[in-house]
Amino acid sequence: MSVVDSPATRRPRDPGGPRQNRVPGHVAPRRRKRNSGLVPWALAVPALVLIAALLGYPLVRMLVLSFQNMRLRELISGRTPPWVGFDQYTRVLTDEVFWAVVGRTVAFTVVSVLISVIGGLSIALLMRRVTRGVRLFMVIAMMFVWALPQLVAAQIFRWMTDSDFGVVNYLIDKLPGVNYQNHSWFVNPWQGWSVITALVVWAGIPFLAITLNAGLTQVPKELLEAATVDGATPWQSLRNIILPILKPLITIVTTLSVIWNFGLFTQAWVLRDGHPEPQFQTLATYSYTQAFGQARYSLGSAIAVITVLLMLGVMIFYIRQMFRIGEVD
Amino acid sequence: MVAPAATPTPASTVPLKRRKSKAVDDGVITVGRSRSGTILANTAGVLFSVVMLFPVYWVLNTAFKPADEVLALEPGFWPSNPTFDNFISAFKAPLFLQDMLNGVIITLLAVAGALVVGFLGALAIARFSFYGRKAIILVVLVVQLVPFLALLIPLFLMLQNVNLGFKKFDLTDSLIGVSITYLVLILPYTIWTLRGFISGIPRELDEAAMIDGCTRAQVFWRIILPLTGPGLVATSVYGFIQAWNEFIIINTLNSPEKQNLMAWLLQNQTTRGTAWGPLMAGAIITSIPVVVFFLIIQRNIATGLTAGAVKG
Repeated sequence: MSVVDSPATRRPRDPGGPRQNRVPGHVAPRRRKRNSGLVPWALAVPALVLIAALLGYPLVRMLVLSFQNMRLRELISGRTPPWVGFDQYTRVLTDEVFWAVVGRTVAFTVVSVLISVIGGLSIALLMRRVTRGVRLFMVIAMMFVWALPQLVAAQIFRWMTDSDFGVVNYLIDKLPGVNYQNHSWFVNPWQGWSVITALVVWAGIPFLAITLNAGLTQVPKELLEAATVDGATPWQSLRNIILPILKPLITIVTTLSVIWNFGLFTQAWVLRDGHPEPQFQTLATYSYTQAFGQARYSLGSAIAVITVLLMLGVMIFYIRQMFRIGEVD
Repeated sequence: MVAPAATPTPASTVPLKRRKSKAVDDGVITVGRSRSGTILANTAGVLFSVVMLFPVYWVLNTAFKPADEVLALEPGFWPSNPTFDNFISAFKAPLFLQDMLNGVIITLLAVAGALVVGFLGALAIARFSFYGRKAIILVVLVVQLVPFLALLIPLFLMLQNVNLGFKKFDLTDSLIGVSITYLVLILPYTIWTLRGFISGIPRELDEAAMIDGCTRAQVFWRIILPLTGPGLVATSVYGFIQAWNEFIIINTLNSPEKQNLMAWLLQNQTTRGTAWGPLMAGAIITSIPVVVFFLIIQRNIATGLTAGAVKG
């Protein structure tokens, strides 16, 4: 650490360091910019080098790979794979299976994010309405769910929906007139996706509800009380006071949820025992199985590139929001 | 890695205090609220919590059951003969202890590295304005969103053939390769969060110290570093959770002897058939450090992800 710091510290002091302190605020930034030219770069270099080496370079390599045709033979021999131009992309984009996967991923994202965000908001509002003890109970329950590793959560759901000994079948079977003994949840894709969605929503609600609840505490109490006294219905208060104030926060958590759910991998992977059937493939699992299951590394790369491109709009939106925050302070 | 173990107290007491002061006036309105409505809301709240907790309860219930009760057609809602057998057989399972040790080593290496490198990077963004600052912020934000899964293929190819000029290395199937990968995985978040903590320290403190004759290095060392303490703890714990929970990369790069507990849980399902009792016990053991750490720093995680979205 001191190796990086020591040359860094002397430089800004040479041309009248003390004078800088006499006029704080306005002059300081310019001075800092001129004098400390290399200091911040020296500090940031280790991070930048690591990011460039393990994120930047693979990213470029992934792009290159998607224009080649790398199979198992090239992987073992280490020879440069043949160049094929846009062949991988044409192959992917003209493949009906791929478009089915895209449609499925998008549909899942829309449905799961809608349920999660609306559910999270409802829970957050409910948390404002209940008494303190109940609220604490809700927070504790959600904290435990939030803390569970994704893989563990998925394993638990796999166990609960097990066709022979799962508790879900047992409980549903208890309902009068329903026979759910040995019911398999993943034969029918709709039912299977309901389980996956339930898992994702269940795991996602704590973050949403607790964050939105924190946002709700920022809504001025006086406004809501004044509105109530003036005869506003709860619905009107929600629409005209709470939602507008909460909008920036809702935007960010929704964007995050979209990014997370669009990249769904673990849940589908684990619930389908590491071999998702075609009807349970998402873009992430599809790219992975193409690359590592079928040794079509280039095809997998092309799918990954397309996935990133599909998400680009949402990502840019998120980055702009966060960038604004980073600029402020 | 001594610091996080020694200092969780400041991190945990701060939110506690805040929570108490909030109880006085936590923005709950009382005007126009009926008693029956409150009862209804409370019922809904309790019901919701019970539904949320059910899977957690069920994994505990399963883990403490003896084998014949786990595979009973009428699942008992309480283990009638509670036993630690499942935990014992999880510990005795092949590679469990090995993978646990691997996980600890990998995670600690990654977190320690990310903390040092990330702190320096955060310092640059938070305390200097210079040409390229915006570019660095942009890079940090963008790489957080790159789906790491997409990079697995080139990463695999790259680590397989690391050429440092004087010698070639194969870093697949090694703890070092995964550690570095995890370091970079958690680095962007580390930088971004620490940036927030550092810029929360008033610049006047730096300036006062410099008037008193501190060099820049001393300012970093004596002012910013101690004041970022709680932030460093929170960030490292979050990094720990991230690295501890990862299994896709390690499962692809390394053989079972060089994997972590998460990957062990995954392997356990695919190759050996499913022994639900030990699996759930293993899942609990694997989750304990994460859950404990998470509960300590939960407040910081929520604010880190959405920092500044609502003006307080």
